[in-house]
Amino acid sequence: MYQSLLTRRYLTSKLMPLLAALAVMLCSAMVLITWSIMGGFLVKFLDVGRNTDGDVIISWPTAGFAHYEELITMLEKDPMVQAAAPCIESWGMLALPDDRLVVVKIRGIDGRYASVSGFRDSLWWRPIDEPLPKDAERLDPRLTNHRLFEQTLADGLALKKKDPETGRLEPAVILGIEAAGFSRRMEAGYYEIPPTSILARPSKGDMESGRRLSPFICDHSVVINVLPLTSGGRDIKVASRKLPVANEFRTGVFEADQKSVLMDLGELQRMLKLDRGEALGVRGSNPYELGAENGREQAARREVVGAAEARVTNIFVKGKGGAEGDINALRDRCESVYRQFEARFKGQVPTPDAMERAKGIGTWEQNYAMFIGAVKKEIAMVLGLLMFISFVAVFLVLAIFWAMVSEKTKDVGILRAIGASRAGIAWLWLRYGMALGVVGTILGLAASFLIVRNINPIHEWLGRAFGVVIWDPRVYYFTELPNQVETHKAAIVAAGGLVFSVLGALIPALRAATYDPVKSLRFE
Amino acid sequence: MPVPTLTNPVRVQSPSTSPATDPILSARNVFKTYRLDRVEVPVLKGASIEVPAGAWVAILGASGSGKSTLMHLLGGLDRPDRDKGEVHFDGRMLSSMSASELDRYRNVSVGFVFQFYHLLPELSVIENALIPAMVLHGRLGFSRRRAELTAHADALLKSFGLGHRLTHRPAQLSGGERQRVAIARALVNDPPVLLADEPTGNLDRHTGEAILDLITRHRAETGRTLVMVTHDPEVAGRADRIVRLEDGRVAG
Repeated sequence: MYQSLLTRRYLTSKLMPLLAALAVMLCSAMVLITWSIMGGFLVKFLDVGRNTDGDVIISWPTAGFAHYEELITMLEKDPMVQAAAPCIESWGMLALPDDRLVVVKIRGIDGRYASVSGFRDSLWWRPIDEPLPKDAERLDPRLTNHRLFEQTLADGLALKKKDPETGRLEPAVILGIEAAGFSRRMEAGYYEIPPTSILARPSKGDMESGRRLSPFICDHSVVINVLPLTSGGRDIKVASRKLPVANEFRTGVFEADQKSVLMDLGELQRMLKLDRGEALGVRGSNPYELGAENGREQAARREVVGAAEARVTNIFVKGKGGAEGDINALRDRCESVYRQFEARFKGQVPTPDAMERAKGIGTWEQNYAMFIGAVKKEIAMVLGLLMFISFVAVFLVLAIFWAMVSEKTKDVGILRAIGASRAGIAWLWLRYGMALGVVGTILGLAASFLIVRNINPIHEWLGRAFGVVIWDPRVYYFTELPNQVETHKAAIVAAGGLVFSVLGALIPALRAATYDPVKSLRFE
Repeated sequence: MPVPTLTNPVRVQSPSTSPATDPILSARNVFKTYRLDRVEVPVLKGASIEVPAGAWVAILGASGSGKSTLMHLLGGLDRPDRDKGEVHFDGRMLSSMSASELDRYRNVSVGFVFQFYHLLPELSVIENALIPAMVLHGRLGFSRRRAELTAHADALLKSFGLGHRLTHRPAQLSGGERQRVAIARALVNDPPVLLADEPTGNLDRHTGEAILDLITRHRAETGRTLVMVTHDPEVAGRADRIVRLEDGRVAG
């Protein structure tokens, strides 16, 4: 009882313990802020990965594999599979209206992609009714012009756009929102339409009619250049196509938003010569023939030998059960289905062995395993270093407690004289250390919560005030810093703060407990 | 008169002004040597004292005669040199007690009053007075009996004229008031023996007299055994019996 009373009084009457609490607070805050941001970075990345590629990916890069519709049908018959969607992945050059050329990753998709990914939610230009949390002034252009944005959303989902002259639906592209720089991200999180667009300052009449008087983002066209390759890896000829922009997408991963383009699957198949067509080959078994002019041996002429099936490079599979589903079991099931598929189309599609060697069937986590592993190791290393640094707090608490125990020697003598036991005295100081730990940790957690929750405005303010850009989205993938504090991390940090405080108080507490009461009473 | 025991101390009920004959507290041929760096300083050299239950015994001696050391030994704050003397309370040798028994002895069987008051500066008057009760009853016991124990301490302090100072800190009190708080603290667990080490030594004559009057009055009301260390023959003169200590030995 006397311990709790004295702990309270010592805490509120001295400056020194507050310094120890401050040390605990700073260490707790340092660890939790770093852990939350770096861990949040990983969580965000995992969320994006899960929402971009489905649960399991069956891939055969560049050359692709044929009969994919049959494989999709077989997969979708499996009770573990919710949906499957074809996709072509390729690198290409994006020529922007201002003559910039950007190397981008191009994905050819069709409407099924939305059933295996968060594609629909990633389309940015869509009508919204509620502003973003930080857009208090409701400046997001999507809050108005609903008629226009309903059309851009429909265009984006269809990956097609109506040609204003012919009235026909044409294949279209969806750009990553940071790829072209058509719009500018504001602090409140929305994208501002450039002032050249009438939508930036719409009149009431324009808003109601959705009439546009100057180019809007989705009025632009871009040129996509890709290099089709033969199955042997030889190039055929650069394929270029000018395509209208149907919409823009935003994943939150800067790399993806800046260097990715989605386009109509059929159109990309045609450009990459992966569509259904004539198969070229050599008749007979001899790949060489004698030249008609010089009589020398040369590669046999390739000629039409039959029909070539359309191909895709990837199939994304979404399992039932959402994020809680067992994606490893799903991957095993996909492998099993692929073996049946290969048996059906023997010689026309890669063998299961080849697939296994190329790691052609894997979960989205396996796809990003190298990156995820590196980030996890980086987090562990940084946290380890911070814990080591935080251990300094133990010595700080120890030094402060040592001084305080010395200062309170007479109190120890008095307490011993009135019957307090050695254990009681030790408990008084340990309890005091614990109280300091609790105070320091609570303050540290509160500070962490405040800082992490407001990390983006703080970062933006630092940028404005001092020109300091700590978090460069070009380097760190994400356009915004993660700002969530997870409960279990806060609990672990709190426990650590407490343990460190008690450890720091332990030696001074034992020292106080061993004081000779008579000498303590005579202490001046 | 019922003699309080270590495990079940009883309040001293019967007022008495005359010394009883049974020694409640005694020291027999005790030696105590302190070590200062490498030098051994013998303080007590075979001192003996018997304190009958209900008596007021004054230990009179000059500075350095070992009187405070003798009182510390009687109060279980310190131990005699190994195998050199015994201190008995109620027939039981203190050196045979375990550490927790000795803690309890200091908590319930004796109450200390020091020359320099030794109050805890962060606590209020009432809290200082209640500290031994908190030590005795523990968190749960004290919480259960908080009202009763607080009322007891409150009554004690009021009887010492400190009713208006209950929430004050020691720094806000005069020397006399601080000493009265220290006496209340020593008495809050109703120990059968009060050990006072120069209780007036840090006070002016007038205040010292008042403190002695208070102790005398309280003792007259309760018949509590009192051992008082003093260098002042006039103060010692109030006691039932005077033990003179000279150079670590009892002179008479």
